[in-house]
Amino acid sequence: MKNKRFAIVLDTRRCIDCKACTVACKAENDVPLGSENYRNWVGEEKLRGQYPNLGQSFTPCQCQHCGNPPCAHVCPTKATEVNQDGIVHVVADKCIGCKYCMTACPYNARYYNEEIEAVDKCTFCTHRVYAGREPACVETCPTKVRVFGDLNDPSSEVSKLLTKYPSRVLKESQGTKPYLIYII
Amino acid sequence: MTLLKHRPSFKLWVGVLAIGVVVGIVGTGNVLLNGHSAVYNVTREIPWGILIATYVFLVVSSTGLCLVSSLGHVFGIEKFDFIGKRAIILAILTLLCGFGAIGMELTHPIRMGLYTIISPNFSSPIWWMGTLYGLYLVLLCAELFFLMKGMHKGAFAMGMIGFIAAITAHSNLGAVFGLLEARPYWHGSFLPIYFIVSALVSGGAIVSMIVYFNHKTTGEPMPQKYEDFMGTLGKLQALFLLILVFFVVWKIIPGLYGHPPEKYEATVAVLSGPLAFNFWFFEVLLGLAIPVILLLNKKTRTPYGVMMAGLSSTVGIFFMRYDLVIAGQLVSMREGTADLVGGLLQYSPSVTEIAIVIGAISTCLLLYTIAERLLPLESDH
Repeated sequence: MKNKRFAIVLDTRRCIDCKACTVACKAENDVPLGSENYRNWVGEEKLRGQYPNLGQSFTPCQCQHCGNPPCAHVCPTKATEVNQDGIVHVVADKCIGCKYCMTACPYNARYYNEEIEAVDKCTFCTHRVYAGREPACVETCPTKVRVFGDLNDPSSEVSKLLTKYPSRVLKESQGTKPYLIYII
Repeated sequence: MTLLKHRPSFKLWVGVLAIGVVVGIVGTGNVLLNGHSAVYNVTREIPWGILIATYVFLVVSSTGLCLVSSLGHVFGIEKFDFIGKRAIILAILTLLCGFGAIGMELTHPIRMGLYTIISPNFSSPIWWMGTLYGLYLVLLCAELFFLMKGMHKGAFAMGMIGFIAAITAHSNLGAVFGLLEARPYWHGSFLPIYFIVSALVSGGAIVSMIVYFNHKTTGEPMPQKYEDFMGTLGKLQALFLLILVFFVVWKIIPGLYGHPPEKYEATVAVLSGPLAFNFWFFEVLLGLAIPVILLLNKKTRTPYGVMMAGLSSTVGIFFMRYDLVIAGQLVSMREGTADLVGGLLQYSPSVTEIAIVIGAISTCLLLYTIAERLLPLESDH
C-alpha cells in the first residue's frame, strides 16, 4: 500500500504469556505443526527477585519488518521483498532454501516451511491488512498488548502511543531499524 | 613412520571409495524421499550444518590447489610446473563435489539456477559466490584444456585469470559469513582474508599428497626432481601453516578480551565448550602442531614426512571449517530460548548428513583416481 508505514506497538506489561497470538498466527497462516515452526512467539525474560518476591516479564515478538532488513540484503534471488508500506515478505517461488536470511536475521524470526518449500515469516497478515482488518495476533490478544497501525498517519493509535510514551526497539545496535516498537 | 609401508592395494582403495559413494547415494536418496527436516539435524536456530562446512572445505581445497598450481605455470617457479594438470583436475573435482554438498543443503537448487539469473540480488554475497565460483569453474576447465593440449600461452592466460578469480571468489566466500552483522563470531573483515591463507595451506597439503601417492603407485624410487620438489613444498607449507597459526591466535584473543557479547560465548564454545575436542585435537594437534613439527624438522622433511604433514593438516582443516560454521551459530539470537545446554544451542550432524559428506569426498577422490588412470597427466616439461 502506498504512503503507509505499518508498525506494531507493544505494551509488554500487559502480556500474560497465554500464547494466543502464536496459536492465532499458526491457524491464520497455515503454519505447519512442529515446535520449530512459528511466525511469532512470546519471549520469557529472566526471573527477577527471590521467592516470595518474584517478577517476570514477557516479550511477544515476531518479524520486526525492519526499515533496513538484513534478510533482504543477503537473499541471492530477491525472494525477500519489502513492500512500499514496509512489510517484509518472502516470495515462496523464488526461495532456493539456502537459509542465508535465517543466519542474517538477528531476531531469529524466520523458519523453513516444509509445506510451501520456502523460508516463511510474519507478513503482518498482509491478506487481512489489505482488506482493512488487523493482523491475527493483534486481534486475538486478550489484554491488547499489540496495537497495529500506520506510522505515517499522525492520528493513528500507534502514532499517538509513541507520542505519549517513550519507546525502545530490540537490538537497536544492529542498525536494522525495527518497526516492532515496545513502549516498555 | 612405517604406517603406510604396507600400502593398501589399488583395488582396495577403489573399493573403499566405491563404498563411500554408495553411502552418499543412500544418504541422498533418504533426503529426497523423506525431506530435509526429517533427516537433517539443522534447526531453525542453526540452519547451516555439516554440509555447508563440507562445501566450504571442498571449495577451499579447490582454491588452494589453483593457487599452489599457479605458482608453477603463472608465476614461473619451475619446480611447481609439473603439478599443473593434476592440481587443476582436482581443483575442478573438489569444486564440483563442493557444489554437490551445498546442493543437498539447498532445498531448491533448480530454482537457484533460474532466479539467480532472472532475479539477481547484487547485494547478496551468496549471489556473488555462485557467480564467481561458476566463472572460476569455467576458467579452470579452460586452463585444463590448454594444459592438456600443451598450449602454454593459453594455459598461462587462463591460469592468470583463474588465479584472480580464485582469490576473488574465495575472499567472497569469507564475506558470506563476514558480512553477517547478526553473527558477531563471523562478522568483520577477518574471514575473507583468513580464507585465502587457509586455502594456501589446504592447497599445499593436498598437492603434497598427490605428488607422493602418484609416485608411490609407480613402485619406483622417487626421482631427485620430485624429492627436491617435496622439500621445497615442505618449507613453503611450514610458512603457510605458521601464518595460519597467527590467524588462529588472533581469532581467539579478540573473542576473549573484554568478553565481547556473543563473540565471547562462541569463542569459549570452541576453546572449552562443545567444540573443544574438535579444536584442540583436530585443529590444533592434527591441523597445525604435528604438520609444523614434521615440516620444520629437517630429518622429517622427507617426501613421506611432507605427505604425512599434508594428510594431517587436511584432516585438521576439515574440522576448522566445521567448527567455524557451527560456532558462529551456537549462541542463541534471543533470550529465553528453551533447550539451551550450558547457555548454547546444540547441533550434531545426523547420520544422513554424515553419509552425504562421506559421499561427496569419496566421489571426489574416486573421480580423481579414474582421471589419473585415463588421462595423460604426466607433465611434458
